[in-house]
Amino acid sequence: MPGFDFSNHNRNQALHARGVPLPKATSTGTTIVGCIYDGGVVIAADTRATSGPIVADKNCEKLHYISPNIWCAGAGTAADTEFTTAIISSNLELHALSTGRKPRVVTCMTMLKQHLFRYQGHIGAYLVVAGVDPTGCHLFTVHAHGSTDKLPYVTMGSGSLAAMSVFETQWKAKLTRDEAVKLTSDAIQAGIWNDLGSGSNVDVCVITEEKAQLLRNYITPNVREQKQRDYKFKRGTTAVLDEKIITREEISKYVTVHELDDKNESAVGEKMDVDS
Amino acid sequence: MDTLVAQYSRPAFENEGYAQDDDQQLITQITPPLSLKFALPPVAQSSSWLRAMTDDYSNPNCPIKIAHGTTTLAFRFQGGIIVATDSRATAGNWIASQTVKKVIEINSCLLGTMAGGAADCQYWLAYLGMQCRLHELRHKRRISVAAASKILANLVYSYKGMGLSMGTMCAGVTPQEGPALYYIDSDGTRLSGNLFCVGSGQTFAYGVLDAEYKYDLTEEEALELGRRSILAATHRDAFSGGFINLYHVKEDGWVKHGFNDTNPIFWKTKLEKGEFSNVTSKLV
Amino acid sequence: MASVFHPGPPSGTPKYSFAQQPNTASEGARQHSFYPYTDNGGSTLGIAGADFTIIAGDTRSTSGYSINTRYCPKVFRIGGPESRIALSVVGFAADGDALKERLDTILKMYKYQHGKTMSVAACAQRLSHILYGKRFFPYYVHAILGGLDEEGKGAVYSYDPVGSYEREQCRAGGAAASLIMPFLDNQVNYKNQCIPGRGTGHELRQRVQEPLPRKDVEQLVEDAFSSAVERHIEVGDGLQMIIITSKGIEEIYKPLKKD
Repeated sequence: MPGFDFSNHNRNQALHARGVPLPKATSTGTTIVGCIYDGGVVIAADTRATSGPIVADKNCEKLHYISPNIWCAGAGTAADTEFTTAIISSNLELHALSTGRKPRVVTCMTMLKQHLFRYQGHIGAYLVVAGVDPTGCHLFTVHAHGSTDKLPYVTMGSGSLAAMSVFETQWKAKLTRDEAVKLTSDAIQAGIWNDLGSGSNVDVCVITEEKAQLLRNYITPNVREQKQRDYKFKRGTTAVLDEKIITREEISKYVTVHELDDKNESAVGEKMDVDS
Repeated sequence: MDTLVAQYSRPAFENEGYAQDDDQQLITQITPPLSLKFALPPVAQSSSWLRAMTDDYSNPNCPIKIAHGTTTLAFRFQGGIIVATDSRATAGNWIASQTVKKVIEINSCLLGTMAGGAADCQYWLAYLGMQCRLHELRHKRRISVAAASKILANLVYSYKGMGLSMGTMCAGVTPQEGPALYYIDSDGTRLSGNLFCVGSGQTFAYGVLDAEYKYDLTEEEALELGRRSILAATHRDAFSGGFINLYHVKEDGWVKHGFNDTNPIFWKTKLEKGEFSNVTSKLV
Repeated sequence: MASVFHPGPPSGTPKYSFAQQPNTASEGARQHSFYPYTDNGGSTLGIAGADFTIIAGDTRSTSGYSINTRYCPKVFRIGGPESRIALSVVGFAADGDALKERLDTILKMYKYQHGKTMSVAACAQRLSHILYGKRFFPYYVHAILGGLDEEGKGAVYSYDPVGSYEREQCRAGGAAASLIMPFLDNQVNYKNQCIPGRGTGHELRQRVQEPLPRKDVEQLVEDAFSSAVERHIEVGDGLQMIIITSKGIEEIYKPLKKD
């Protein structure tokens, strides 16, 4: 069966009625913005993800790929924005393949709103959709309940008011690319400084007819400062009551062990994403 | 000279500086005129309002978390009374402190224990200490444990329904009573008895205490039993832990027998006596 | 529509227990429209040394996801110029201010009436009684009082909202207390630290607590706050430190991250 699994729904509802609070989903708190300029469209986002008052991720990516010429900024429940954009991206790819045409931004927006409306707001995705297609540059907002807007400049998320104040004072028609990038990143920074749900860095994505350019960590005004003291513990600080060494022979019963030739060479695989 | 002048000169208003508290706060004459006047919120049902604000059990998201959670015990034996407590204070799931002194020294012959609201116990047992001293001054002899415990019981009873939360024991020795032990709680209950455990870890403490208790315990055995009962409670009750606070009340006043970390005591008990075999540090 | 972006003020620590009473289903129609408290966020910290005490706090004041101001001190010198006592209050700022004013007045009146400053021990007990005086309508604050005791040693007293108090070596309060306190337990009281090189397992002895030098404590405070700022949204903007020594009281302000 495709789609959502509701098998725990009744149990969870019964627990909730007994007063068990729902587990907290990571929310992106977030400031996301978008702005059309002459010849393209820019979207930008901050990089803080929160869980209640705690910062869950200091450098998360809120700009999602949809198709080569369409990108999407997401606010709301982190998982919902990620999976909704991924599923629409996938469906849009299939759609483009079957029609043999470049995907259009309206198509993407329509698919998103239809998907979200079906779930009556339970999928907490608040999106800014931007892209360039044969019909021109487009910028939309999509709310979790399925309503949409088409505007020259948009903001969403908890920092939307802070960001909008920048647009309302500085936006003008016929911006250049650099002006648009400056304006959107300023709007995001207004959110970063003045909204507690937003913080850390600025991500920007510039989309033109030719290509989409993701400027990851375009501005990093919140670099972690050096600690005053050294917090290394001497070996033996932690009392060890018992020790067990698992030999290579033993572990190879369960996993495949590869020998690395070079001692300095680190294991192949995805490199861990470490904050600056 | 200055001190002499200061001693005999009086300010224009005798009460200056003392009466100001009354001016500052809303005074409502709902509280009995037993002690201080307490500020009350301007609502009809102040007790249910207070519960909504402070009771983390009925409302986990309440804005004010008050420290509670405890194991305390006291028992009478041939050599006097043993009083033992843990030292943990919790506010919701948060361990607010591991070093709380839950035995309150009312005077050289009287001890009180603390379970329930930490502030309630601290404040009212201090108040009890004051009343006991006043009794001594008025009547030229030390107050009996029965009378002291009754002051406290009457006091909390007068606040019944207001949301006080305390479960306390009064242990002391007087010439007329000998070693005496009373249990008082915020419902107004006052009981005398040989053996009490109070707090969230009481059942665990009772388990050990009831099994090993007899009146003819030697002093050494009694102290060890008190310690072991608290240890059992700290082991199984998440809201108890920290240090074991141990007191012995004798004919000529109480003696303190240390404030010791549970962790080394636990490992000593396990390794030397072979108890707590459910716990192992061996890897499989 | 804008309301959907505001999930309300951030709540406290996560709760997840199956034993908890229902907090949604209420018996009958009950309402509490009287809600006089706001959480203004922020965090405070107090550490006692051998001959000094440091009381620190961040200077951000918040409500919900908004910043009220980037400079709202939470740490106060109280009792006039000769006094060697500092009070920090975190929680609801209006209650904190009222509490500070009250204790400050009491300390000054004491000075005028007795011709000497109040001792920290006396002040600590007085503060407890002020808090308990509002047992049925509490001050929504976590107070930390710092000073020097009769022997000149550093003293830190911490309070719950209704006045239970205790003298301690160190204490963190407020929004990031759960982030800072474990760090302090480990670095100040050496919890979970053994002395290396004295055998293994059960033979190892716990490292015993000793008073730290002033420079180390200042560094610990700064590190505690710069770390709290990284992970708690309500902490930031500035760090205010009050250092009490027998020579006098120093005040230090250092900027923190503002995001």
